[in-house]
Amino acid sequence: MMGMIVLAILILAAVLAVSAYNRLIELRNRYKNAFSQIDVQLKRRYDLIPNLVETAKGYLRHERQTLEAVIAARNQAHSAAQRAAASPGEASAMKDLSGAETALGGALGRMLALAEAYPDLKSNTTMNQLSEELASTENKVAFARQAYNDAVMAYNTGREVFPTSIIANMAGFAEARGWEIERAVEREAVKVSFA
Amino acid sequence: MDFFEAQERARHRTGWLIALFSLAVAGTVLAVYAAVWLALVYFLNHRFEGIPAFWNFDLFWRIAVSTIALIAGVSIHKTRAVSASADSVALGLGGRLLDPNTRDPYERRLLNVVEEMAIASGVPVPAVHLLPAEPGINAFAVGLDASRSAVAVTDGCLRLLSRDELQGVIAHEFSHLLNGDARINLRLLGLVHGILVIGLLGSMLLRSLGRSSSSSSRRKPGPAGLSAVLFIGVALYLIGSIGVFFTRLIKAAVNRQRELLADASGVQFTRNPAGLAGALKKIGGLDQGSRLLAPRAEEASHFYFSEGVRPFAALMSTHPPLAERIRLLDPQFAGELGGGQLEPVALEQEVPGVAAVAAPGGARAIPLRPNAVRASVGALGDQHIAYAQSLVARIPQRLRDAIREPWVARAVVLALLLDSKPETRTAQLNALVAHDDPHLADNVARAWSALHAAPAEARLPILDLALPALRRLSPAQYGELRTAVDRLIRADSRIGLFEYTVQRVLLRHLAAHFEPGRVDPATGPRVEVADALSVLLSMLAHAGAADPAKAARAFRVAAAELSPGRFHVSLLPREICDLRALDRALSRLRDTAPRLRGEILGACVAAVATDGEVTIAEGELLRAISDSLGCPMPPLLPGQHLAAPAEPIRARAG
Repeated sequence: MMGMIVLAILILAAVLAVSAYNRLIELRNRYKNAFSQIDVQLKRRYDLIPNLVETAKGYLRHERQTLEAVIAARNQAHSAAQRAAASPGEASAMKDLSGAETALGGALGRMLALAEAYPDLKSNTTMNQLSEELASTENKVAFARQAYNDAVMAYNTGREVFPTSIIANMAGFAEARGWEIERAVEREAVKVSFA
Repeated sequence: MDFFEAQERARHRTGWLIALFSLAVAGTVLAVYAAVWLALVYFLNHRFEGIPAFWNFDLFWRIAVSTIALIAGVSIHKTRAVSASADSVALGLGGRLLDPNTRDPYERRLLNVVEEMAIASGVPVPAVHLLPAEPGINAFAVGLDASRSAVAVTDGCLRLLSRDELQGVIAHEFSHLLNGDARINLRLLGLVHGILVIGLLGSMLLRSLGRSSSSSSRRKPGPAGLSAVLFIGVALYLIGSIGVFFTRLIKAAVNRQRELLADASGVQFTRNPAGLAGALKKIGGLDQGSRLLAPRAEEASHFYFSEGVRPFAALMSTHPPLAERIRLLDPQFAGELGGGQLEPVALEQEVPGVAAVAAPGGARAIPLRPNAVRASVGALGDQHIAYAQSLVARIPQRLRDAIREPWVARAVVLALLLDSKPETRTAQLNALVAHDDPHLADNVARAWSALHAAPAEARLPILDLALPALRRLSPAQYGELRTAVDRLIRADSRIGLFEYTVQRVLLRHLAAHFEPGRVDPATGPRVEVADALSVLLSMLAHAGAADPAKAARAFRVAAAELSPGRFHVSLLPREICDLRALDRALSRLRDTAPRLRGEILGACVAAVATDGEVTIAEGELLRAISDSLGCPMPPLLPGQHLAAPAEPIRARAG
């Protein structure tokens, strides 16, 4: 009888361990999938920015530095995003992406503030379309980021709860990092609009 | 055999499956008992004189209980795990969920084919997975119901097949989804796992033994202990193999006939045997064929489009021979197959609606009869697919792209719930302004104008198209969406019957995904079927006719569609019919047997189409109600709703 009980406990432990492991995998898949949503939007945005700068170039002849800064920030954010997409949730990659995106937001904000002083540019249809597109992409990025952060939180909570935490430590499920963003910057970025 | 009969049969087949499975369990229990007895004989002989009697009821009882408890526990656990989300099987095989807004041309083509098929059959667009590491050509469908289903294809299937061949494969998979095979497959996967786990435990034990004897552990078990563990390991492994052998036989027996049926239905859907036959020929010629490389490919072997794991013997094949399947589709087939190596196909421009032949207001007039509608559920044809293509093409491009983005899809489905009357709509939008997200009301208002530019019959398809994007919301974002839906519905008590039903459809599909525990969002006391029927049919009768005499006639015609004498239904006065009662009624009727649901749908058609014809609005209301009852109803083909919408369909909310 004793042997039976031990066997039953062993079997129960094995079943629990396997289900905990599967659950961790699922949670990890979920936040990785959520990041791919951000990635799609970011790519779209990085494609838009050169067009925007190209359109603005004709009008902002004396603001070359600002325009170059935008392109440089865009390139930096683009490569940071590629690194983050290769390993979503990895702490340093996420930090780089967050930093590069903040810088890009700032550079874009400066360019658009400058553009306010040029009535011709403000009434340019292409420019208006592009900035409208950019604003809506910003919103989509923000929304996808929220979903990603939720998924990361679910995963992190899942891996800390006992007894799953034992499996998480044994199988090397590292903590994932969300994409934190300073409130002020975000609000500024969302307001990219002409009209 | 129509949809309802197939569903009914699927239920019976599940029963038969469980009977076969019980036999396998009984065999396993006996095998365990024999092993324990052998162990007793072997070990006790060293200490006591004599051999214990073989039959020991007390021991048998204990072993039976613990073995069955183990198998049942694991089976239930696995069934729950795979039922929690339709994605788990594909993810377990290395699948990647495709983005609804992907820009890869091959993925876009696949999603377009799946979307057309879903709209043509009147179900939400399923999740689509790609198995990127699989060079062979294979595919499978997983589903518990219309709201929780997924289709997965291998990389070879994505790139090596032409559009027609791909469509043939997807049609085959959709027929599995529509006739309930996909649901049985999941059950079988869960059940078999309980038996499989015994063998797994055995191999785990043997492996740990190998490890501990090779390491220099100080706490090595003595020779007696070692041989005991060895014995238990080998015994478990053998017992497990017996079980696996039987379950594989069950799988093979259940599956082969169904694959032929799915081939036949797939051809019926697309009316293009060359497509499906072409895909099978490419599998036959390809070096990799349809075999999968994933280590866990065996557990889902009965799901695949074509044999995914090499069988030990013909008896154990889960699929009929390829040549037989091809010959059934192409009688001229002489055995010529494609090359061993295939190049990815060149893609044509994916223009939605190129094949569109069915323009709105076509010449064909099909009167809407209860029988015809009942027969159309779950059975689509090529004209439905062509119609779906033209319908998608008529949705403005911006809107079509937008509903593949979670952020916009959310606004669009909320806009679907806005009433057609401006005052009601204003009240609804005002209710949204109080929502936490300041942009939401604005976005919904904008989405409403975009929706207005799309044809009325595209509204339910738009909802179906938006669901893959909505499933990607986080649980918190889903919670916000639910709150927003609640506010829209409560904002004004005079919301339209159609909008109300759309809300039910939306919440039902989303709740199935986000809260798999509770499938139906209805609350309140459970009602009798007859009362539920009275509410539903009365509301439809009143909605179709303002004049009480006409409503009474519509109700009588509808009641005549039900089996005589089975339910006592009566026309309720208009004042009693509120939307909350309808909610309870639909939830109750959703739970009834498939055949009865077929009858109910027929009665609904009779109540709405008293003159044998329906307007677009009435047709879409019928489809929404049909969806609420869990019956996927293909779109009504043009030609039958030429009449202008006469009476706006509305009812009072409670």
